[in-house]
Formats: sequence, C-alpha cells, structure tokens
Amino acid sequence: MEVPLTPKMESHDYTIFPSDTKKIIAELGKERLIENLKRMLLIRNFEVRAESAYQQGKIGGFFHSYIGQEAIQTAALEAFSANNWWVTSYRCHALALLLGATPNEIMAELYGKSTGNAKGRGGSMHLYAERLLGGFGIVGGQIPIAIGAAFSLKYKEIKDQVSICFLGDGAVPQGAFHESLNLASLWSLPCVFVIENNKWGMGTAVERAVSVKRIAEDKAPSFGMKGYTFNGMDFFNCYAGFKHVFEEMKKDSRPVLIEVLTERFRGHSISDPGLYRTKENLKASMAKDPILALQVNLIESGIIDQEEVKELDKKYRTIAIESMKYADESPWPEISTLETDVFAP
Amino acid sequence: MGTQVVDLREALRQAMNEEMERDPNVFILGEEVAEYNGAYKVTKGMLEKWGPKRVLDTPISELAFAGLGIGAAMTGLRPIVEFMSFNFSFVAADQIISNAAKMYYMSGTRFSVPIVFRGPNGAAAQVSSQHSHCVEAIYGNLPGLLIVTPSNAYDAKGLLKTSIRNNNPVLFLESELSYGDKMEIPTEEYLIPLGKAKIVKEGKDITIVTHGRMVTVCEIVVKELTNQGINAELIDLRTIRPLDIETVVRSVKKTNFCVLVEEGHYFSGISAEVGFQIMENCFDYLDSEIVRVCQKETPMPYSKELEKETLPNVKRILSAVHKALNR
Repeated sequence: MEVPLTPKMESHDYTIFPSDTKKIIAELGKERLIENLKRMLLIRNFEVRAESAYQQGKIGGFFHSYIGQEAIQTAALEAFSANNWWVTSYRCHALALLLGATPNEIMAELYGKSTGNAKGRGGSMHLYAERLLGGFGIVGGQIPIAIGAAFSLKYKEIKDQVSICFLGDGAVPQGAFHESLNLASLWSLPCVFVIENNKWGMGTAVERAVSVKRIAEDKAPSFGMKGYTFNGMDFFNCYAGFKHVFEEMKKDSRPVLIEVLTERFRGHSISDPGLYRTKENLKASMAKDPILALQVNLIESGIIDQEEVKELDKKYRTIAIESMKYADESPWPEISTLETDVFAP
Repeated sequence: MGTQVVDLREALRQAMNEEMERDPNVFILGEEVAEYNGAYKVTKGMLEKWGPKRVLDTPISELAFAGLGIGAAMTGLRPIVEFMSFNFSFVAADQIISNAAKMYYMSGTRFSVPIVFRGPNGAAAQVSSQHSHCVEAIYGNLPGLLIVTPSNAYDAKGLLKTSIRNNNPVLFLESELSYGDKMEIPTEEYLIPLGKAKIVKEGKDITIVTHGRMVTVCEIVVKELTNQGINAELIDLRTIRPLDIETVVRSVKKTNFCVLVEEGHYFSGISAEVGFQIMENCFDYLDSEIVRVCQKETPMPYSKELEKETLPNVKRILSAVHKALNR
C-alpha cells in the first residue's frame, strides 16, 4: 500500500509569532545580547568537541547533538529565567549547560567518569541541574513529568514560576503527548510545551509522522489552549515569543503549546550519517545557522565586531577542549559504588 | 492500648488520612477516588475531609496521571496514585519503569521519587484475562521499585504508612477480594518496616512461604495440615522488595522442607526467585525438592470452574505439601 506523504486535510501556512528585532536589541541591551551569544557559542563548541571525543572513542552509547537548534533553549532561558522547572528529551546537553551544569561535569558524564553530572550513571541522555529534571530517554516520556512539576507549583501556590517542557516533533504522535496536554488544560497547569520541530523523527520526515502541518496552531485549540509558532533559527523571534507566553501565563496560569521551527544540522544521533537527506536539503538547513544570524545582527547593530566574535568563539573552544582534558583525567567511578544509590535513604 | 475492628479498606483509609494529617505534601489522585468515593470505597469520605486540592479525580489517563505523580514527587510532593486495578498500570508502565524506578540512581542521586502507587492486584471474581494479573513478578524484576503485598488489615495500615514516608517509588499491591476482611487493630498509631516477613504460624515440619491474598488460603491449609498431624510453619513475605530471605532461610533450616505458594504464574515468578535464593542460602538443609504452587500458565479464564483451578487453592497446596514430604 502506498502511504500518501501529504495529509489529506488542507494544511494552512504557519503564522509565525511577530517580533521586532530592533526593539528586542534595544530592550535587552549590549550585555544581555552578548551573554546570549556566549551561551550559544558555548553550546556549539561543546557539541563539536564532544562529537570529536565520541569519534575518538572516549564517549559511548547514544549521543544526540543540539547543533543548529541553539537559539531556542537559549532564548527560552533569557525569557523565563532559570528559576522554573525544566524538562527535556535525550537531546539535553544544551539545556544542562544553560541551567548551570558546567562543561567539565557534562563532558565527564559523557566520558562516564565519577566527576560526571550524574556520577557517570546517566550519560548523554540523562543530564540534570538544580531546576532541570532531566533529559529523558524515551520519546515523549518527559511530558507527563513536566505536568507533574507544573502541578507541584500549583499545589504550593507558586505563581511566578512555570514548568517548561521541550520535546521533538517525533514525540507528537505519542500517547503521552495527548494525555498530558489534556490533563494540563483540564487542571489549568502552568506548563509550556515546546515542540522543537527539526523536521525529522530520527530518519522519518515529520510529514510522514504527524497528520497536520502546523502542530501547535492546529492541535492547541483541540486541547483548549493557545498555540504559537516561532522561528527557531531566529533568537529574537524565539525570545519575543517566549517572553509573550511567560507574561500571559503569569496572568492566567494556563498551559501553552508552542511549535518552534528549527533545523537539525546533524544526523538524529552520532551514529546516523543522514543518508536519507539530500545534500541540498542539509546545505539549505545549514545556511540558516542561528548563531551566524545572531552574530550578523549584533555586528550590524554595532554591539560587537567580527574580531570580538572570533575571540569569544576561541574562548569557548578552549573551554570545551579543557573539559575534554578534565574528563580524560577524571577517575572512573569506583566499582564499589556500583550497587549503591539504587534506593534513596 | 485501645483496639478497633476494621476491614482492610478502612485500614488503608486510616493510613492515608493519618499521613495526610501529618504531611501537607501528601495527596491522592486516581480514577474515581474523589466524588465516586473510590471504585472499591477505599477513599470513601476523603474528598469531604480534605477537599479537591488533595483528593483528585483523574480522567482515564493512567500514563499521564502516573507520570504527573512522578513529576510532582521529583519536585517536592508525596503523591499517592490509586490504580483502579494494577492491570491498568500497564498503560502507565513506561512512567513507572523508565522514570520512577531509575531516577534516583540514573540522576546520580539528584532526584528521588517518593511516590506510592496503590490498588488491587491479582484475580478478583471472574473478571477474566485482562483484569486478573499479578504484577509483582513483572515489576519485581526492576531494581528501584519497592513492592509491598499486605495480606491483612493490620499489615495494610502499618505498611502503607511506612510506604508513604519512604523516599522511593512503592508499588502497594492490594486485593479486591480482601478489602472486606475484618481484623482487630490498635487505635494508636503504628508503623511496620518494609522488608520484614512475618511468621504467621510457627511449625517444625515444613515451611510454607507465600504473600498477599494467598496467605488467607494458606491459613486454611495449615489448619487442615494440623488435623493431619503435620505442623507447618507459615511465612507471609509482606514485602517482595526488599525480600526478607533471612526469615525464610531460618525457617527452612529448621523444617528442612519447603512449599512456595504464589497467586501469580510459575514462569519467572516470585516463587522462582525465592526458591533460587533458598538454594543459594541453605541447599544443604533441604531434605527434598522445593514444590511450587502458582497460577497455571494460561491467561485467566472467565469460567468460575476454570478460574478456581488455575489459582492456587487448598487442594493444590495440600497436595504440594504431601509431595514435598513424600507422604
């Protein structure tokens, strides 16, 4: 049987959340803008070096890179601040870095060392921070956890915080997605569901997996919540959108569904050469590099110059390389600890 | 010390009410727990007592509300999640297995999951294949979960209170057929530690090890054996994880014979585990093979005549004891 690749229902075009880059540049100011560029450069350099460590055989198991998607979680942090609950999928290196886990402890975790973020027990897919409940390894498995964190906030009557849940487009067909959105809306839980649509669920294109084109705009109304689409390659657009959503939630505490259109520059995981994509498709993706776009904007606005960008990039390259050295030199977990901590005291 | 006569469901309710009184972070959610007063009336009156903030009806959405409970537990609350039946926990199995069971270890001790999943387990009366599973062997295979199987009202109350205070995910397995069983219990507060089996009846001729509702069936067997001049020792495991193998081993060293009774299946069952651990710990003390009586290897049939035969019953257990003793 031939499976039609285009949905039968007429799909409408996205309505991208409107944003004004100049206004945001003025609002955030030089210091915050450069800070956000630094964060994105840290993520990019960390991922590039971690990939090279993987190729050298220093890292095993699964490894999912955030390269190409940096603008989204960076902008979310800027808009919401760290002081919320955060949950994401196995593609979690970036969010852990953003929420305060150090490059050293994350790299050490990838190397499986005792100094790692989770003592070498979690690996690439399970990273944590004080307010990061984890990278979760099962597609969609983090979504009910996120509504649980939102439930806690509501139960404790904490009104200035929300729960922010990142998921991929590949998680949208999971039952956990539908059940969680239903419950979040039914109980008015302050939870933001952010679908990072990088167009691919492993090697299956999104149009072969999800029955509507505009995931948030079409699905949110059926759950009685608001839905938005952001341009994930544009830091400013993401920031404007997240900021708007946060302001609304502080007023009504309602859950919100967001689809962020982004691009995956790499395979699904490191072992995926991406043979199902054409060279043109990949090239078109990479031309939209969110870090380059931010740099261009900042340079054109006179906030930073080319030389300073190069210096910053070099700085984070050095930090990433140093984290490899730290991980390399860190001790393996003691075998005597293998069977400890299965249960909490 | 004062005493009161309560049925098992009342004992469970007292445990929850006392713990909710003690800790404002304890709350209960599940299908029909609030306005309907509980599918089996375990939570009767709790909505009225605590209000809708702490006693929450959920939609039929086990995956979402089990996961919600886990997320709430990771962020400072102590949820009690009622499954109307543990058969429905399979819909939520990914949350229980991939998230609750692993979290403390996987996160390098950063996040613990203090949550109790409770509800009826095992066969009821003619509810057929999809509503009769015993889940302890399935979940018992996964490090990180505590599994509690009370057989009477006294244990149910003391064990549930301890489970709610525990900082780990607990599967608290009740039995629909036992909810009405009455018993005299203290009026004062008491707790029962996890991981301590109970010698229900002392004896010297053979050890019978069981848990959950089968304890009641084995008590009938033990009386019948007494009439036959066989003085059996009956052990109620009370918790499957942690497993109190020491109490079992001490008994087997004394009696030298052993029968294991389990409501669930033979294959990879709790009896398979207990039997193997007996072999590891006191092989030389056994004077004959260990004999198991478990549920036969078929989905649960509906017909009451077949259902009676597939479950461990007095006749099958007596015959196993005779086989073990070669009488």
